Amino acid sequence: MNYPVWLVPIFGTGWVVGSIAIIHVLISHFAVGGGFFLPLAEMKAMKEGRRDWFPQLKMFSKFFLVLTGVFGAVTGVGIWFAIGLASPEGTSTLIHNFVFAWGSEWMIFLIELTLAAVYYYTWDRIPDELHLRLGFLYAIFAFLTLVIINGILTFMLTPSKGWLEVAGTGHEADAFFQAFFNPTYWPSLFLRTLVCISLAGIFSLAVFSRLDGKKDGKVKREMIRWSAMWLLPAFILMPFCFLWYLWMVPASQRELMSLGISTIGSGAFTQVTRLGLITLMTSGTIVGVVYFLAYQSPRDFKFGHAMSVVMLALIATASTECVREMLRKPYVIDQWMYSNGVRKTQVAKFNQEGFLTHSPWQPPAGATPVEVGRRMFMGECMACHTLDGYRGIKGLLGGRDEKAIGNILEMLHKDQADSPYSKFMPPLVGTDEEIADLRIYLASLVTTPPPTPPSAAPPLAATTPLR
Amino acid sequence: MEKSLSAEPKSTSPATWSTQIWDWADARLGLSEVIHLAEKKRVPDHRHSFWYYWGGITLFFFIVMCFSGVLLLIYYRPGDGAYESVRQITYDIKFGWLIRSTHSWAANLMLASAFIHMFSAYFMKAYRGPREFTWWSGFGLLLLGMVFGFSGYLLPMDDLAYFATKVGLAIPAVIPVVGPWIANLIRGGPDVNAFTVSRFFALHVVVLPALFIPLLMFHLLLVQKHGMSIPESEERKPESERMSVPFFPNFAMKDLAMWLIALNVLALMASLFPWGLGDAADSLKPAPMGIHPEWYFMSSFEVLKLFGQWFPGEAGEFLGLILFNLGLILWVLIPFYDTSSKYGMRARLATYFGLFVIAILMTTTIWGYAVLPPTH
Repeated sequence: MNYPVWLVPIFGTGWVVGSIAIIHVLISHFAVGGGFFLPLAEMKAMKEGRRDWFPQLKMFSKFFLVLTGVFGAVTGVGIWFAIGLASPEGTSTLIHNFVFAWGSEWMIFLIELTLAAVYYYTWDRIPDELHLRLGFLYAIFAFLTLVIINGILTFMLTPSKGWLEVAGTGHEADAFFQAFFNPTYWPSLFLRTLVCISLAGIFSLAVFSRLDGKKDGKVKREMIRWSAMWLLPAFILMPFCFLWYLWMVPASQRELMSLGISTIGSGAFTQVTRLGLITLMTSGTIVGVVYFLAYQSPRDFKFGHAMSVVMLALIATASTECVREMLRKPYVIDQWMYSNGVRKTQVAKFNQEGFLTHSPWQPPAGATPVEVGRRMFMGECMACHTLDGYRGIKGLLGGRDEKAIGNILEMLHKDQADSPYSKFMPPLVGTDEEIADLRIYLASLVTTPPPTPPSAAPPLAATTPLR
Repeated sequence: MEKSLSAEPKSTSPATWSTQIWDWADARLGLSEVIHLAEKKRVPDHRHSFWYYWGGITLFFFIVMCFSGVLLLIYYRPGDGAYESVRQITYDIKFGWLIRSTHSWAANLMLASAFIHMFSAYFMKAYRGPREFTWWSGFGLLLLGMVFGFSGYLLPMDDLAYFATKVGLAIPAVIPVVGPWIANLIRGGPDVNAFTVSRFFALHVVVLPALFIPLLMFHLLLVQKHGMSIPESEERKPESERMSVPFFPNFAMKDLAMWLIALNVLALMASLFPWGLGDAADSLKPAPMGIHPEWYFMSSFEVLKLFGQWFPGEAGEFLGLILFNLGLILWVLIPFYDTSSKYGMRARLATYFGLFVIAILMTTTIWGYAVLPPTH
């Protein structure tokens, strides 16, 4: 259950996690891809005797160290704080199952950070060969962090049959490897690796775009073109990996992607489709812009152009991560825990004994129905809804009276399979009294404006309060 | 001689199937002559070059509107079935909502980029000789674009479209003597109804394109003939210090990349903020709160409203209409006033006038939105 103190008005807890996570994903994937980019570029320069690349690569490694070591690390810790507060039950499950994996990832991350710093500070100070080895060592450790975190992230969407069979028994650790190498593990790892490689190309374009096309024309042309080539693997392989990934996603979750094809009628229920379209569009555009602007006219490629590509990458990352998160709906851990922290196995018990009885939101004795309803809202709805802002409940219920609200709550409580709500929302759990109190509370939030008498067409200036 | 940032050196690869196809087509269509011409054409390259892209971006949005408009035509039914057909497009037909949203957002973005293009041309003094006709044709395109927007807004025939059109058509109605007659002619009667939809539909898909496309061709032809204008800061430089790039491939590639970015902005807007549909228009229902014209008419709407407050009766609104039109005439005739290629008093006054117009447009638009009552 949620802590009773974690209230994020307007923005909602989901967006707190999302905002930090989107930036973190962008930077952390660059940390992996850039880890390969730097030593490979250095090796190329060494083989071809291009010492004039070295100052540029040193400049790149400085940018790399600051961006990944500072912003990447800070946002990584930020996610921990945010998810721990937004979904304590879900986070607790992850920690209990993957404590060993997470511990290892932190160790590896520390080594990765150290190596990034050593790599930058040893430019021109140690032999070239040794410096190159340091670069490759960094790349290996950076990639290992992805190998580990990928297992935990994919677990939430496809926890595996083996783990689900032992979930809740206290023997979850026996199914560690099944949970870790779950059905979407490999396609996700390939997809993310391709993203890492692409981001290395995109950020290197940003760094090398600052070279003067007239003064350093030759170096700029070579480095921009070489950076642009890093987008080629993703351009070719990404569609196949994406189809592989979708193939491994359970059909019930895959269905969420197609809900928005024919209608926008259900608003939030079609977000997955709409966000998926944005991912497709921005990814395709990145390739197009890089080809036309960077590869075709490398010497004219300016920082502004590069930043537009970075912005597109940010949008692509944001929409893809949103789609990935929403594909789990209504669960936070598929088939095990709903997005509001209620376990699937607890539904019958909570319906019989009451939700608030087993929740930190338990009201004091003698609380009014509105107060009890408010606590029900905090405990069951607040993980996804705010009052006035994102998915604001007042807006969603606007114009409905208490009876209509009661009908919606009943539908959510019954949670029938053919209801579109059941695809995205957890079942509403609780006793009849608790649900009635929630109805009263929600009705108290929504005030219907008094009806306006019919009037003729408004005159030109009578439609605003000025006249 | 101008300095140039030349095109990237071409590779001399052996003949492949693609070059064979090219040679075959080139022999019949003379493509290499066109490319040679495009390579000879040069585009000025300076710190204000960014503004050169806006004409192309406007054109791009127009092309998107044409394609999405044709797709909407397949299902749209003017007249009594207008609302139901748009409801089907939005809620039943696969990706219908996306096509409709793309069309609506492209219209708004086209007008926004046309405004940016016009003001950038204005401040670069691109209206000066010999480009007067380019300026006038461009301005004509902007006005036609706004009429496109106005006529398209009614076509879904939901309550918002219905009442907003009523408000919009009240503007010509304030002209003394002929005003009501003009408004009736546009409406097809004393009220907005299915006949109005049919008229607006014909205007939107036949009359306006028949005017817009030839004018657009004329505008593009003039741009090709006279080339890009350069700002005063570049004019001051000796010719030997001015930079330029070949139109093909350098500028064309960047233009294409800009189109791709524009396409992304459009896709973002269409996907994240899909165009909704209100209740079916019903003249007996009360008007929804906060009815207002689209953003590109908000300034003129607000000016008329303010004059209507300051002066009694319809005289105020009529006075506002006259003033607004006088401003438009001044704007159109600026090439006759600011003819100097130097930096004299007239050039400065023209710049101040441009800034004044922007200030008026922005203030009245923001003010118009600020005083709107809440929608619920």
